[in-house]
Amino acid sequence: MAKAKATADTSLCKECRLCVSYCPKNAIEPLEELNAKGYKIIRINEELCIGCGRCYKICPDYVFTIHTLE
Amino acid sequence: MAVRMTKPQMINQQVGWCGGCGHGIIQRLIAESCEELGLVEKTVQVLDIACAYWSIDTLNCDGIAGPHGRPAAVATGIKKVRPDANVYVCAGDGCSYVIGLEETLYAAARNIPITMIVVNNGIFGMTGGQMCPATTLVGDKTVSSPYGRDPHTAGEPFDTLTMIQSLPVAFAARGALYDPQHIDETKKLIKKGMEYQRDNKGFSIIEILSPCPTNWKLSPVEAMEKIKNANQEIFPVKVYVDNGGDK
Repeated sequence: MAKAKATADTSLCKECRLCVSYCPKNAIEPLEELNAKGYKIIRINEELCIGCGRCYKICPDYVFTIHTLE
Repeated sequence: MAVRMTKPQMINQQVGWCGGCGHGIIQRLIAESCEELGLVEKTVQVLDIACAYWSIDTLNCDGIAGPHGRPAAVATGIKKVRPDANVYVCAGDGCSYVIGLEETLYAAARNIPITMIVVNNGIFGMTGGQMCPATTLVGDKTVSSPYGRDPHTAGEPFDTLTMIQSLPVAFAARGALYDPQHIDETKKLIKKGMEYQRDNKGFSIIEILSPCPTNWKLSPVEAMEKIKNANQEIFPVKVYVDNGGDK
C-alpha cells in the first residue's frame, strides 16, 4: 500500500503533458476534456499512484499536491 | 491525510507562462528556497522586462523590474542601500548574457553579494523567438535564423560561466530542469546562492537550462529531451566556482 497519493487541481493545467511522461507508474492519464481555460486536462489513477512527487516537481503550473496517508 | 508537497505560500496567483515553460518550475524553486531559509519577508526580486517579469504579480514579495538587461545593476543598487535584504535577480539569457552582459560581469567582478538566477532557454522568448547570440545552439532554427544558426555569419554560442569563473565570485553553477532529479539539484544550487548572500560571502550566479517549447516549436516533452541531449552538451551542468569561505 502506497504511503502517499497525488491529487490534482486541473483548473490550473495547461496541457503540457510533462506529468504524463514523467510518471514512473503511468498513473496519469491524458484526457480530451477541457478546463475553463480551454486546455485538455489529466486524471490521476489512484490505484496506480505511489505519491512519489515526480509530477509535483516537473509541473510548471502547480497542479499537484502530494498527501501522506497516515 | 497530511500534505507533504504543495505549491509554496509565496506564490499567490496563477502563473501566466506558456504550457510547459521552465519559468514556472524555477519560480517554485525560488519560492521554496526563500520559505525554507525564512527569507520571504526580506526578499526583493529584481526582474527583467521579459518572460521572467510574470513573477512580479505571482510572487508575494517586494520586487522591481529595471530597464531591459540591467537587473544586475538595479540589484546592486538595492543591495547597497538595503544590505540585509535577500536580493535576487531572475532574468533570461538574453538579458543577462547579451543585452546586459556588461552589468552581469561587473556585478560579478565587484563580487556584490546578490544571487543571480539566469534562465537559459537558448532563445529570446518574449520578443517572439529570435536567436540569442550567447546561447542558441549552432543549427537551431529561430525566426531570425530561419535556416538554422550558421556559425560563419552568427558566431558560436559561448559559456558565460567560464568567463565568470575568472572573477572573484562566491558561487557559479549550472543546473537543468529536464528531469525531477536535476530539478532537485537545481533547487540546492539556488538555496546555496541565497545562503551565501545571507552570509555575505559574495556574488552567486546560477544558470538554469530551461525549455521554451513555444519558440523552439517542440512539444514540452520533446523540449526537455532537447535540453538533455543537445543543450547540455554545450552547456555542461556543473559547479564552476564555490568559494563560500573567502569573504
